[in-house]
Amino acid sequence: MTDVTGTRVKRAEDHRLVTGRSRFADDVTMPNLLHAAFVRSPYAHARIDAIDTAPALAMPGVEAVFTGADLAAAMEPLVLQPVEGLLAPAFYPLATDRARFHGEPIVMVIASSRAAAEDAAEAVVMELEPLPTVVDAEEAIAPDAPLLFAECGTNEMYRNVSTYGDTAAAFAKADRVITERFVQHRYAQQPLEAHGCVSTFDPSSGELTHQSSHQGPHMLRLGLSFLLRLPLHNVRVLCGDVGGSFGSKGHWQREEIAAAFAAIHLGRSVKWIADRSESLHAGGQTREETVDVEAAVLDDGTLLGLRVKLSLDQGAYACVPYPTIVFPLLARALMPSAYRITDFDFEFVVACTNKAPYLAYRGPWEIETWVRERTLDVIAATLGIDPVEIRRKNLWDDSELPRPLTTGAATLRDLTVRECLDEAVAAVGYEAFRDEQAAARENGRYLGIGFSCFIEPAPQPIFGIGFDFVRTETASAQLEPDGSLTIFTSQAPHGQGHETTIAQVCADRIGLPMDKVRVVHGDTRLSPFTNLGTGASRAATMATGAALGATQIIKDRVLRIAGHLLGCDPDDLVIENGIVRSSANAEAQIPLMHVALVAYTTPFTLPDDFETGLRTTYTFDHEGGWAQACHCCVVDVDIATGKVAIERYIVAENCGKPIHPAIVDGQITGGVAQGIGAVLLERSAYDGDGQYLAGTFMDYLLPTALDVPFVEIVHIVHETDDPIPWRGVGEGGGIGSPAALTNAIEDALRPFGAAVREQHLPPFRILELAGVIE
Amino acid sequence: MALMTAEIEIAFTVNGIPRVVRVEPRRTLADVLRNDLELTGTKLGCEHGVCGACAVLLDGEPIRSCLLFAAQIPGRAVTTVEGIAAPDGELHPVQEGFWESTSFQCGFCAAGFTVVGAALVDRGGEPTDEEIRHVLSGNLCRCTGYASIVEGVRAGLRIAAERADA
Repeated sequence: MTDVTGTRVKRAEDHRLVTGRSRFADDVTMPNLLHAAFVRSPYAHARIDAIDTAPALAMPGVEAVFTGADLAAAMEPLVLQPVEGLLAPAFYPLATDRARFHGEPIVMVIASSRAAAEDAAEAVVMELEPLPTVVDAEEAIAPDAPLLFAECGTNEMYRNVSTYGDTAAAFAKADRVITERFVQHRYAQQPLEAHGCVSTFDPSSGELTHQSSHQGPHMLRLGLSFLLRLPLHNVRVLCGDVGGSFGSKGHWQREEIAAAFAAIHLGRSVKWIADRSESLHAGGQTREETVDVEAAVLDDGTLLGLRVKLSLDQGAYACVPYPTIVFPLLARALMPSAYRITDFDFEFVVACTNKAPYLAYRGPWEIETWVRERTLDVIAATLGIDPVEIRRKNLWDDSELPRPLTTGAATLRDLTVRECLDEAVAAVGYEAFRDEQAAARENGRYLGIGFSCFIEPAPQPIFGIGFDFVRTETASAQLEPDGSLTIFTSQAPHGQGHETTIAQVCADRIGLPMDKVRVVHGDTRLSPFTNLGTGASRAATMATGAALGATQIIKDRVLRIAGHLLGCDPDDLVIENGIVRSSANAEAQIPLMHVALVAYTTPFTLPDDFETGLRTTYTFDHEGGWAQACHCCVVDVDIATGKVAIERYIVAENCGKPIHPAIVDGQITGGVAQGIGAVLLERSAYDGDGQYLAGTFMDYLLPTALDVPFVEIVHIVHETDDPIPWRGVGEGGGIGSPAALTNAIEDALRPFGAAVREQHLPPFRILELAGVIE
Repeated sequence: MALMTAEIEIAFTVNGIPRVVRVEPRRTLADVLRNDLELTGTKLGCEHGVCGACAVLLDGEPIRSCLLFAAQIPGRAVTTVEGIAAPDGELHPVQEGFWESTSFQCGFCAAGFTVVGAALVDRGGEPTDEEIRHVLSGNLCRCTGYASIVEGVRAGLRIAAERADA
């Protein structure tokens, strides 16, 4: 029997996807289903003086209309876990006294169809008094700024200063200090399936069954229970197929909580499916950070120290229940990365503004890589040093490792970033490229190359920022009476292919073909508790480690029982293709199904000290590890049109052994595509009054098949003693790409003296940087 | 309002089966397929004609079912993603191609790509990757970066040719 781990098996998920049998949230229906539609704030900031719901209630098909006051009277407010020094004003799913961003839900209409609900939403009469707005993080924390939450007395929600090593000493030794400001714009996750749910309350049992498009069903269950005052054992969350998330479906989405509220109060089923406009206005925006960097350097390119000040614009409300400050804390932890940066100051401020909430996005600390790798290129250009050489000069040598990461408890070990860089340099043909670039410039063609190096916590080490629970993961395994295996995972996949990857490793371990192993997920009644779900590149190590641990326990029990039945030493037994056989005696064999049936139906025939239960739960504990990569991007910038053509894109990466090579490549390529979109196309644009300007896919542009190049991937795999040799790879594609692409664009535009200090580089900005337009 | 909510009767075929529905004139074809005919394979990603998730074949040609009213297509023949495989369940070459190429991740876009890809493969010929990408550029995928989907179409073309030779 050939092992399937490490091979491109056909995914368990795909037959239903290509035949139209998938079941996403909007494909779920229920008897007498009701539909929710929301009346949203047309203003970025407004006082709610009066709401008249009577005209809506009189419309055909309308069952109920709820306001913020209705919710506030009967549920708990959305609040953050308390963090010292963090201002976290409570709020409700519907705005109560004030609306604080354009698109904030104010009224919920429940009707017999979505169309009827939307018709009635139009009939709600609101008296709103527009208030002064603030849409810039720096202006928001100025003394005279309009306040979003009067009770806070400020829009500065959190400020934190950390120092590592001794930057004063490092800067005193510097030949020069390079000072830059880098601006990362606001963009959005935009999974193709937006948020949505079908929430059903059963007045007979008192149970809420909430089907959702979510990446953390257990965390959502906790939220529904706590917020809506239901005992936890009366709340069940189900996630079927989930159409992407990229971080945007890991929290408590306000409309979803409101729909569940309506279901409970009406004793019915209520569906809410965000349309694209709702998703773009209020379904999550991200990444908006401005970073001031001071880098102390020697003239030979040695980086002596870094001082960084980051300002994050969280929009009007914090991401609940995970506080927004997690993102800059992660950026702080990871910024020194694999570089010899030991003297490091990091200050950050989180401001609230009249914009939609900032939610996690794939590699939520990506700003650290963008800023660090841009800074290295700026230093290199300033000092006349090659960008590859400056990285080689400043990366830790293997001889200096292992050592603690500058910023925390994690250990830098098994780093292969230098090898990734070397592989990328070789793959692109760096020296030949520089010749080609010089010749092209002579002909008025502007080629550029950019590199970025990073390490990705996959899974995440501890870092000492209060997320210690991430280092364990639990799974259950059950050998069924027919000899097939069911795995119950805490993961909540939304594209990662866990029904396949977990089945691959468990099939090989127990000795069954893939189609005899099923991976069950997304049902809080069946899947073990976790407060994370799928995210943070944890599944490859943590979920497979947990599932394998549970499978091994079952296998050991099966072999002991089979040994008894066959009169063999269990140590001589192997399981192949569902048959237990002895390596010592070819005659001795028994189907797994037979063993299972004995254990289930006649366990009393086995010795008393045998464990005969064929279902078990195992908690896996792993200290974490690094996935790492070097991205290399080659661009051809047309200074007549401002169009950036990506000629080549290379990723040299080490994520350990791949469980499924095509899934690994897909994660990398998909992440790179998102980074390309962020730089060249996407922007969650607001005007100065806080009016949101990108409410359709004709304004908010996602990359198409013509915008994303073929990504060349070089895999670096080293043998390891770790029995769980797989590392996560979900986030790196999105982390390395904005840096590599913006570095390449600045390199292309070097003849024009262009300084790329912002991440959004649409054609008009390229033309400005090239001096073609002003 | 009354005109738009007064129901009208429309007869058309879906996946070869004659259907008669009574719907409001304002209802889109996508709505009617998903809600009245319970063909939920067709997905709605944007409802303004950009993402292509709702693609179906109308008399064999790919169209966006979110941009058509059901009332516009009396007598026409619609093929949804549920009708792309053969009635006996044998997958269309492009479905096999997508499956063997691990083309999708979350798969919310898969129905649209399957419909458009099937039309592309059925047209035959030897399209270049650039031509395939051009055809696929009317459909958005947020997960994959498209390389695997291009590979899947190419595999579909190969499988179609193999079946024709067999």
